[in-house]
Amino acid sequence: MKCKMTKAENMRSMDNLKKSGMSRRGFLISTLVGAVGGLLGVSLLKYKNQMRSEVFIAGIANYTDDIASVILSGMKELGISPAEIKGKRVLLKPNIVEVIKGASHINTHPLVIRGAIEAFLELGASKVIVGEGQGHVRDSYYVLEESGLADVLYEDRIPYIDLNNDSLFTLPNNGRFSRLNELSFPQTLRKVDLIVSMAKMKTHHWAGVTLSMKNMFGVMPGIVYGWPKNVLHYAGIERSILDINATIKPHLAIVDGIIGMEGDGPIMGTPCHAGVLVMGRNLPAVDATSARIMGVDPHKIAYLKAASNRLGPISERYIAQRGELINKVRKNFELREDIPAQRGLRLA
Amino acid sequence: MINEILNSVISEIERRILPEGGLENHKGGGYRPDATAWAVIAFKTWRKDTKIIQQLQARLASEQLDDGRVCLLPKHPDAFWPTSLAILAWHGSAGHINSQYRAVNFLLNTSGRHFERKPDSPFGHDPSIKGWPWIENTHSWVEPTALTLIALRTVGYEKHPRAIEAINMLLDRQLHRGGWNYGNTKVFGHELNSMPAPTGVALQALAGLVHREKIEKSLLYLKTAVKKLYTPFSLGWSLLGLSAWNERPSNSQALVLSCLERQKRYGPYPTSLLSLLILASICENGLLNQDVLVKSET
Repeated sequence: MKCKMTKAENMRSMDNLKKSGMSRRGFLISTLVGAVGGLLGVSLLKYKNQMRSEVFIAGIANYTDDIASVILSGMKELGISPAEIKGKRVLLKPNIVEVIKGASHINTHPLVIRGAIEAFLELGASKVIVGEGQGHVRDSYYVLEESGLADVLYEDRIPYIDLNNDSLFTLPNNGRFSRLNELSFPQTLRKVDLIVSMAKMKTHHWAGVTLSMKNMFGVMPGIVYGWPKNVLHYAGIERSILDINATIKPHLAIVDGIIGMEGDGPIMGTPCHAGVLVMGRNLPAVDATSARIMGVDPHKIAYLKAASNRLGPISERYIAQRGELINKVRKNFELREDIPAQRGLRLA
Repeated sequence: MINEILNSVISEIERRILPEGGLENHKGGGYRPDATAWAVIAFKTWRKDTKIIQQLQARLASEQLDDGRVCLLPKHPDAFWPTSLAILAWHGSAGHINSQYRAVNFLLNTSGRHFERKPDSPFGHDPSIKGWPWIENTHSWVEPTALTLIALRTVGYEKHPRAIEAINMLLDRQLHRGGWNYGNTKVFGHELNSMPAPTGVALQALAGLVHREKIEKSLLYLKTAVKKLYTPFSLGWSLLGLSAWNERPSNSQALVLSCLERQKRYGPYPTSLLSLLILASICENGLLNQDVLVKSET
C-alpha cells in the first residue's frame, strides 16, 4: 500500500492538539503529588542485547486517540512493570527539528509526548522531563512554541531542557565506530534514570531512515558539536549514530508513526499516514520493525546493519512482534531514486 | 517604565556573576564565555559600572588560549565560536587591546573546511567560499560567519579580504525567496526554510556593506516574521537586523517587554538571551551604530 496524505489532513491533525488538552492537567498534577526520589544513574531497564527483543506495534488512527492508554498497554506487552518505573526520573527525547505552521509530519507530535508523560506518571515515575537539542534552529523556545509542544508542557507543568546548552559531561566512546575517542553529553542525561527516544517515523536523505537511534543525535550538545552537528557529520553520520547509542544506551523507544514523513526527509518530505506507534526496549529492534512498516529493508540501512552485530537484533526471527502484524500496517513510504541514501532500500 | 524593567534585567544578570568572575548562562551551569561576553556588551550599552565590566573582560582574557581563541570550555578548544563575542566584549577597553588583537588574528587565520562544489552536489550553496565554523575543522555556517564579520567591523577590518569573502559567503547562503537559515540553501532540489534569528544576525552583519536590493527579500521576510515573534533569540536578532536597515518596528519596545514577560511561561531566560533583549531594546539603529561598538581606527 502506498502512502498518501493531503495537506488538509495534515493540518487537521495539528488542530486536534488544541482540542485535546486542558483536562489532562488534573491527571498530571495528581500523579505528580507524592512522587519523589529516584536513584542517580540507576536503571532497572538495563540495556541488554537480547537474542530476542520484543517490539510492540499499536495501530492508532489519530492523534486525538487515547495515546497514554496505548503506551501503557505497550509497556505491559513489553513486560515493563510499574515496579520498574516507580520513583524513576524519566527523560523523554522527542524529535523536534524544525517548524512549519500546521505541519504534523516533521516533529514527534506533542500529543504523543503528552501520552508518554501521562503513561510514565501513571506508572509512578517521580519526574518526567522533556529535552531536545535541535540541529538547525538555535532558538529552542521558538521551536517549542511553533511545534505546539510548549502548550502541552506548560499545561502539564513538565520541565523542558535545551540539551544544546546544558552543562556537559564526557564519556569514552563506547562504540568506537567513528574516530571520536570521547563523546560529550548534556548533564541532564546523568540526572535521569531512564532515557526514552521518542522518534518520528521518517525517511532521511543522508541516513535512509530516521527513527529512534538517529533521534539520539539530538542529545548531542550544539555548543560543542555545532549547528548543524557538523562534528558528527565529519565523523560519519551513521558511525556517530552507532557511537551515541552504544555509549548512552537509551532504555526505551517510542516511534510516532501516526503521521510520518516520506520522500525528502527529515524536513522537506511529505506527510504519510501510517497510523502506528512502535515501542520497544531495544532500539535497533524497534527501528528495524519501523523500517519494515515503512516498506524499507532494515538490512539495507547501513547503521542498522552495523547495529545488528553489536547493539541489538534487526532480523525478524530475533524480534518478537507484539500487537499489530507488520504486514497489516505496512505502508510503503516514498523513497526517492535521486537521493543516494534511499536508493534500493525497498523491502521485497 | 521600559527603563525600569530593563534595569531589573540588568540587575538579574549582575546577580548571575560568579564569585570567581564571569557569568553562567543558566543557574548552576558554570562559567560560560559567551554569556560573559554578551553581558559585557549589554552592560556597556547600559552604561553599567565600569569596574564590573573590567572584571568580566578580565575573566574572558584569562581564558584566552595562546593562539588567541576563546573557547567554550578548556576541554573543548575546538569550540572556538565565543571568540568573536569576546572581540566585541573587549572593544574599547585599553587594557584588552592585545587580547582583542590576538583574537582577531586567530579568526583571520582560521576558516574551517571548504571545498570545491562537485557537479553532482546535492547542495545549493558554494562550499568553497570561506566563512567561519562553529567548531574547528567543520564547515562554515551563517551565524558564526555573521558574528565574526560584525566583530571584524568593530575593529575596522571590513575591507580585509576575509571580511569581503564573508560578505560573499553570506550572500551566497541567502535563500532565493529571502531570509537565511543555519546555512544550507537547497538540498536535493528543495529550497530549505528561512528562520528569523539567522536572518537577523546576517542582516545586522551586512548592513552598510551591501546594497539594499541584494537583501530586500530578506528584509521583507523578516518584517513579516517579526510580527509573530515572542521568543528571545529570534526576536532579539530580528529587531537588531531590522534596526540596522532602518526598518525597526514601531512597537519594538512592546515586543521586548512581552518577550520578557513570557519568562513566567518558560522560566528564567539564559544570560545571553537577557543580554540580547537589552541590546535589541536599546540599539535603535542596530548593534554597530551605537557608540559602544563603534568602529575603531585601524
